[in-house]
Amino acid sequence: MGNGIEVERVAGGIDVLTLRGEHDLSTATDVSRRIESALESASGLAIDLSETTFIDSAVLRVLITAQERAAERGAGFAIAVADSSGHGVHRLLALTGLDSKLATRPSREDAIAAAAAA
Amino acid sequence: METVSERVEIEIAAAAPGVPLVRHALRGLLSGLDVPDDVVADIALAVTEACTNAVVHAYRDGQGTISVTATHVDGSLTVTVRDHGCGMSARVDTPGLGVGLPVIAAIASSVEIGTPDGGGTEICMRFALAGGAN
Repeated sequence: MGNGIEVERVAGGIDVLTLRGEHDLSTATDVSRRIESALESASGLAIDLSETTFIDSAVLRVLITAQERAAERGAGFAIAVADSSGHGVHRLLALTGLDSKLATRPSREDAIAAAAAA
Repeated sequence: METVSERVEIEIAAAAPGVPLVRHALRGLLSGLDVPDDVVADIALAVTEACTNAVVHAYRDGQGTISVTATHVDGSLTVTVRDHGCGMSARVDTPGLGVGLPVIAAIASSVEIGTPDGGGTEICMRFALAGGAN
C-alpha cells in the first residue's frame, strides 16, 4: 500500500481526509496543511485512518490540533480508527491514552456521520 | 556465549525524511527473523519516536547526523540512536506531544539515555523479540 493524503468533499459539506500507509514527522506538515485547508470551508471534517498502517506522535499532535481547530470553528469532527487500521495506530492511541480524548469512530462511514451531526 | 546474528548500522541526515528510512531498514532486519508482526510494529514505533526526538531536538541549526545501530543477540534486539548535537533541550515549537520517551519506555524492555564522550545524546533501547516485549 502506498502512502498518501487525499481529501474528498462528500454530502453535507463534509471533507474526508484519508491517510493511506505510513505517516510520521516526514509527512506531518503536509497532513496539517491539508487539514487547515479543509477546515477553511468544510462544515465538518472526518479523518479516515482505516487504511493507515502507521502514525507516530508527530501525526498524533496534528490530529489533536485538528480536533481543537474544528471545535473553535464550530465544525464537526471525527476520526475513523477501524479494525483495518494498523497495529501501530491502535498501539499509539492506547499507550498515550488519547484514544479516549480524540473523537474516534470505528469506520469511515461512522466518522462522516459524526462529523455531519455536529 | 552470546551470538550476534544480525547487525545493521545506518547514518542519516538529521531531517524528517530520514525517519522512515530507519524504520524501513529495521523492518528489513527483522523480516529475516521469526518475530511476530505486532512486535515488529512496536519496535518500529519506538525507534521512530527516538529518531524523531533526535531530529527535533539535537540540532538547532538543522545540520547534523543521526547514527542508528541495531544488533540482534540471542532473541533480543538492541537499538541505539545517537546524535552529536546539543542534547534533548526543550523547545516550545516542538512538533511532538512530549510522549515520545514514555512510548519508548512502554514498549522497550529497557531504555538507557546517556551523553557519550564527544557530546550529543544516545538512547539505547532493548526489545524482546519473542512477543510480549513489556
